[in-house]
Amino acid sequence: MATVHTTSPINPTTEAEAWDGGGSPFNVSYGKLMMWYFLVSDAFTFSALLISYGTIRASSQVWADPNHVFNAMPFLHGWDAPLGFVSIMTFILILSSVFVVRAVQEGHMMNKKGVVFWMFLGILGGAAFLGCQAWEWHHLITGYEHGHGMTLYSNTFGAPNSFGQLFFLITGFHGFHVLSGVVFNIIVCVQAAMGVYERRGHYEMVEKIGLYWHFVDLVWVFVFLAFYLL
Amino acid sequence: MAHSLDHETYKQQVRSVWVATVWLSVITVVEVVAALLWLYVIDPEGKMSKLLLNGFFIVASLLKAYFIVGEFMHVRYERRALALTILVPLVFLIWFLIAFVWEGAEWQNNRKVWNALPDIPAAHQHHDAGHGGDHGHDGGKH
Repeated sequence: MATVHTTSPINPTTEAEAWDGGGSPFNVSYGKLMMWYFLVSDAFTFSALLISYGTIRASSQVWADPNHVFNAMPFLHGWDAPLGFVSIMTFILILSSVFVVRAVQEGHMMNKKGVVFWMFLGILGGAAFLGCQAWEWHHLITGYEHGHGMTLYSNTFGAPNSFGQLFFLITGFHGFHVLSGVVFNIIVCVQAAMGVYERRGHYEMVEKIGLYWHFVDLVWVFVFLAFYLL
Repeated sequence: MAHSLDHETYKQQVRSVWVATVWLSVITVVEVVAALLWLYVIDPEGKMSKLLLNGFFIVASLLKAYFIVGEFMHVRYERRALALTILVPLVFLIWFLIAFVWEGAEWQNNRKVWNALPDIPAAHQHHDAGHGGDHGHDGGKH
């Protein structure tokens, strides 16, 4: 059988047939499969971080109450708004993820303008999320909203220092994923606008980076669960 | 290259993505409302067990994960073999979670026991320092 040189998905007739070789039994290209395997490994990294959070929390006799820790809202100084700001952050990240799905779908239709438009909105969402996180870290470190906060070495919640350490480690690691995701999204958006993918004949790169971006959203669901809800 | 999707499939997929968006938003709103209801109405003094509330949060988060992985990451529409190769390794996380949180709870238990016996640790430490130290009872041993 002829060697397949294309990077676009290959389509064997049936799934059973595909295992005989000459095509991808998973019906995805090499690049997309490897992105998936990277995400599986990254999922284990985040799980290890979140489970160590659970372990240390379970081992502590006192812990902080999230409704008390996360109750500040920008522009509303002194307001007690438990979970208010983080709900907005969550919603921003979900919407950003949706925008990137739309970019992927427009890519399937070879609609260059659509890809650039939705990708741009996705980038805005990611940047907005990072801005929110910067504000949250800042007010917690300085304690200027309610006179309470935390650093790596202290906190005003009567919790062990590991509370602040785990918070900054895990939300920081997630935030770094968001930051790199925004950079990848910008590269993809610019390349799409320059017609790189149009010339290539497919928009699969949008899909691969999109997978990464949705994964960042997925991790946030569990960071939200561990730190803000439980 | 031609479109890799026909127009009908495209329209249908766009619709299902917006449906998933509505689900994700509604679940998040319900989670926050549940947390606030619990805080202000159901248990303002913080005396009740949060087992039920936390159980709801975990189920709701898994439901959100289903929409993100299934719809946004397109796993629902992938070949079964691909979905399995991604999802099956995650089964290890169940034991990972149970084992470590169990261990954490045991540590807390040990701390409680330790704190309830203030005299014994102190005496024990003194005893240890005597034998473990470099200069302690050297003369006696020789």
